[in-house]
Amino acid sequence: MTPLLSFLNVSKRYPDGGRDILVLDRVSLEVNAGVSVGIRGARRSGKSTLLRLAAGIALPDSGTICFEGRDLAQMASRERGRLLRGEIAFMSAADWRATPGESVVDHVATSLGSEGLTMREARRRAVLVLDQVEIGAAGAEEPTTSLSQTERARVMLARALAREPRLLMLDEPPQLPSLGECDRFYALLRSAAREHDITLLMASEEMSALGGLGVMMSINDGELTSTEARGTVVALPGRRRAGAERSAQ
Amino acid sequence: MASASPEKTRWMRGPSTPLRGALLGLLLERPGHGGDLANRLAARLGETWRVDTNDVYRLLEQLEKTGLAVSRDEPKRNNHRRTHLVYYPTEESSEALTLWMETLLPREPVRLGLQAKLSVAREQDAHRLLAALRAYERECLMLAQLVSPTDGRGRSWTALCMDCTRDAVYGQLEVEITWATRTRQRINEFLERSR
Repeated sequence: MTPLLSFLNVSKRYPDGGRDILVLDRVSLEVNAGVSVGIRGARRSGKSTLLRLAAGIALPDSGTICFEGRDLAQMASRERGRLLRGEIAFMSAADWRATPGESVVDHVATSLGSEGLTMREARRRAVLVLDQVEIGAAGAEEPTTSLSQTERARVMLARALAREPRLLMLDEPPQLPSLGECDRFYALLRSAAREHDITLLMASEEMSALGGLGVMMSINDGELTSTEARGTVVALPGRRRAGAERSAQ
Repeated sequence: MASASPEKTRWMRGPSTPLRGALLGLLLERPGHGGDLANRLAARLGETWRVDTNDVYRLLEQLEKTGLAVSRDEPKRNNHRRTHLVYYPTEESSEALTLWMETLLPREPVRLGLQAKLSVAREQDAHRLLAALRAYERECLMLAQLVSPTDGRGRSWTALCMDCTRDAVYGQLEVEITWATRTRQRINEFLERSR
């Protein structure tokens, strides 16, 4: 079975002053469809780079990254862009952008522009996913400018889910005002991924944010360490392992 | 990790294995009498590990019984009319220490074992330590996977207590993983510099 996402000996460097910093060091891993993976790492450990490479936002210096067997580096940038707007959703708290005066439902619906839907169909789908993230019909008509942090995080999630991605990546969950709201957000994320058979890749500094995910990894200094519990994927840096099975959720 | 004959790992059985291993490492660095070894052990393991001198004497006797140390009655440096027992390593000591570095003992508190190993590790043990630290990190990640997540809906006192317990586990595991990854990083940086 072809994994949904695979890294083979992937390295990435960034310039830092007069020298290069090795951010990812020959990372190899395979993630099968339906698996949920948590990557725990401190700041500057390489976790954001790993997710950005997986999303095709950046390309590796060496090694191969494939989405369903297709090498991201070999794709035309337009094709990679299409993938990122369709099958891959990338969420980052820093990416919140809303047009002033836009309603919540329109904010979600406009993200479906490339799906070939009419605005009415897009709004219908938007209402459904907003309901899933516990933003009811009344909230859907509110302007995006009036949203609390918690609602904004849920709308971001709804926007990502509306495109029905196969792979959802979340780089550091949004900061929410209370621990209870954080817990609820993570629970919504997990249940949405399970319900829609979405492969989830989530990176955070905090282990509690990654609770309940099928596979736990940690990244440090560009190296991945992982459990291999529940028969899921994971290979250590530089050593590829095959034959992964889907994680039991 | 090594799979050695039970004969060679017998000395690692029972409680206090981390301290026995650390004492063996200190003996290989240089011989010493019980008090000297107890002081060196305390200095090496740090403030949080309360080393009892009587325990050290007991553990040295155990090492001697298993052939990993040998004692000689020697005059005290500051009073030649009085003697004390000075412990020396044997021919088997070095191999035994290497084996201990490679052996994960499942029923010992793993971090204590690793801390003791780190306290007396030789440069040639670097890769054994890296492997042990990675195994420990993986073990912590596996424990984190076992924690059942909250659905964020709990409103009762019991649910609150469960959430707090969950946070305690995550907090402890986070600290352990951070320690293990930092230690690996330090060792790797050292190896890089000495290349």
